[in-house]
Amino acid sequence: MARTTHSSSHDVRLEWPDGRTRTIDVREDQTVLEAATCADIALPFGCRIGACATCTGRLLEVDEPDAPDGDDDRGAVDVEDAFEYRQQPRALKDRHRDDGYVLLCLASPRVDCRIAVGSSVHTELVDNPWK
Amino acid sequence: MSDRSATDDGEADHEHGHSHHLEGPGYATPQAAIEDGSREKLAYVMSLYVGTDVDAPDFVAVVDLDPDSDTYSEIVDRVELPNRGDELHHFGWNACSSSCHVDELERRHLIVPGQRSSRIHVIDAKDRRNPELIKVIEPEDVFEYDLSAPHTVHCIPDGQILISMLGDADGELPGGFLELNEDFEIEGRWDQPGDIEMNYDYWYQPRRNVMVSSEWAAPETYYPGFDLDDVEAGKYGRKLHFWDWEAGTVEQTIDLGEEGLIPLEVRFLHTPESTHGFVGAALSSNVFHFWRDAGANGGAGEYRAEKVIDFESREHPDWDMPVPALPTDILLSMDDRYLFGSNWLHGEVWMYDVSDPSNPRRADSLSVGGTFGEIREVQGRELAAGPQMLQLSLDGERLYWTTSLFSSWDEEFYPEEGERGSVMLKADVDPRAGTLELDEDFLVDWGDCPAGPARAHEIRWPDGDCTSDVWQ
Repeated sequence: MARTTHSSSHDVRLEWPDGRTRTIDVREDQTVLEAATCADIALPFGCRIGACATCTGRLLEVDEPDAPDGDDDRGAVDVEDAFEYRQQPRALKDRHRDDGYVLLCLASPRVDCRIAVGSSVHTELVDNPWK
Repeated sequence: MSDRSATDDGEADHEHGHSHHLEGPGYATPQAAIEDGSREKLAYVMSLYVGTDVDAPDFVAVVDLDPDSDTYSEIVDRVELPNRGDELHHFGWNACSSSCHVDELERRHLIVPGQRSSRIHVIDAKDRRNPELIKVIEPEDVFEYDLSAPHTVHCIPDGQILISMLGDADGELPGGFLELNEDFEIEGRWDQPGDIEMNYDYWYQPRRNVMVSSEWAAPETYYPGFDLDDVEAGKYGRKLHFWDWEAGTVEQTIDLGEEGLIPLEVRFLHTPESTHGFVGAALSSNVFHFWRDAGANGGAGEYRAEKVIDFESREHPDWDMPVPALPTDILLSMDDRYLFGSNWLHGEVWMYDVSDPSNPRRADSLSVGGTFGEIREVQGRELAAGPQMLQLSLDGERLYWTTSLFSSWDEEFYPEEGERGSVMLKADVDPRAGTLELDEDFLVDWGDCPAGPARAHEIRWPDGDCTSDVWQ
């Protein structure tokens, strides 16, 4: 991915669990969900007000110009620096945000990045407490 | 709010503001519904794709329940909604037996909210087999009233519709109630913001001038999934609120305590004069009976609640903690004799004789699906989840249920539900003997839907059922 500096949009690579990927150009005034919808890409969503977490993605990597390709580790990248929220992401607890989860219905990228998407990302947020 | 008259002294007003010369929709009495209602031939069932990777909107399924039909137990029509992401959940009619005196009203329009989107749909079901969408109220119009997450829909006398709303416009607390007029436009907010904090289900008994509402949690709490940390933080409800129905004000709140955690479906007896009812406390795995106590020396009295059914947790050999039953739905037979319920996690459908509502007597149960159910498959179809939303025939002889609770909670407890889709099952009920028997010839499979496996939730009959009819 080419890093886009001093621009009003960023390349966001969406990665599904089955290996499928799509890269979309997301303007800074767009959310990732809005840009995906414009590109005719179906991502899960629900409330669109940041309360339900149906649209949750997980930041995999922020593009570093000199970093080798193929590194799947997000490393020390802070998800809070990678996205700006249109309104408060109420559905995510601190532990979720610390782990790189992001609500794609509200979040606009500030860097080029790769995100894990699809409904299975949302299921990572909570576990069956009795199991 | 209506033309009925109701007393507040605990005595039923038998005139109740109108004669019972039936002109409008519904049946004159619960017994008339049993005697005059015909066997259910169709069901409307909430069906959803929200939260999955299937690129399709939720839909209302029309299921053929006529055993003489070539398409018996098949989905024969689907009303697809215009948007993805709704999470269709509970729904209701524009009119029921409480409007029996309004001769221009018809039980014709289904009000179908999106729980997750806060979008409200109106479906014209005049053609019972081929209903069609006629109107959509967009979320932004709902948010203007600082409400979100529509849940229970009841018609209220004279043509209006009342919807319990579980959150504010940000998905936080407090919830409240949204009122629609007979043209399906937002009339306004029915309650005063802050009258209650949490909201969920409600039921009203107009002759007693009372409404009761229960509590789930803030949408931001329950939407993403069930987290025990939220329980420990006190974010889940445990209260019942008793309202002055005409004034729209909370008159009494009962805290059910630790044994009443997450009180969900709440049902008054169908008998219009009765002040008795039941609520299932899902997380505590209890059922509470509530009733209005006659006041001493002729006073007004107050509502009381008492735990009357208690389901024990069960040990799972491979799990860390005992598993609660999680009774997520209850309903009363139209004759008020039996209370039915579903223990979603354990995999059990049960019926209790509640002829004496303060002393329910276990009549029978059916162990099917879920985590512990003995019957694991029907017609070769493996059951992926436990019994959940229930519906009973008017004559009390056929009990149907679906298996999806809420998409994010399904994913947590029964992840196979999303991959396989839901099923609808049926038990034959013998009200005289008090028995349940699974009808293994009946299966509706949402795993076969054209766009991919779908979930199935609440069930309604076209001409009234045991969870939507109220008598004025």
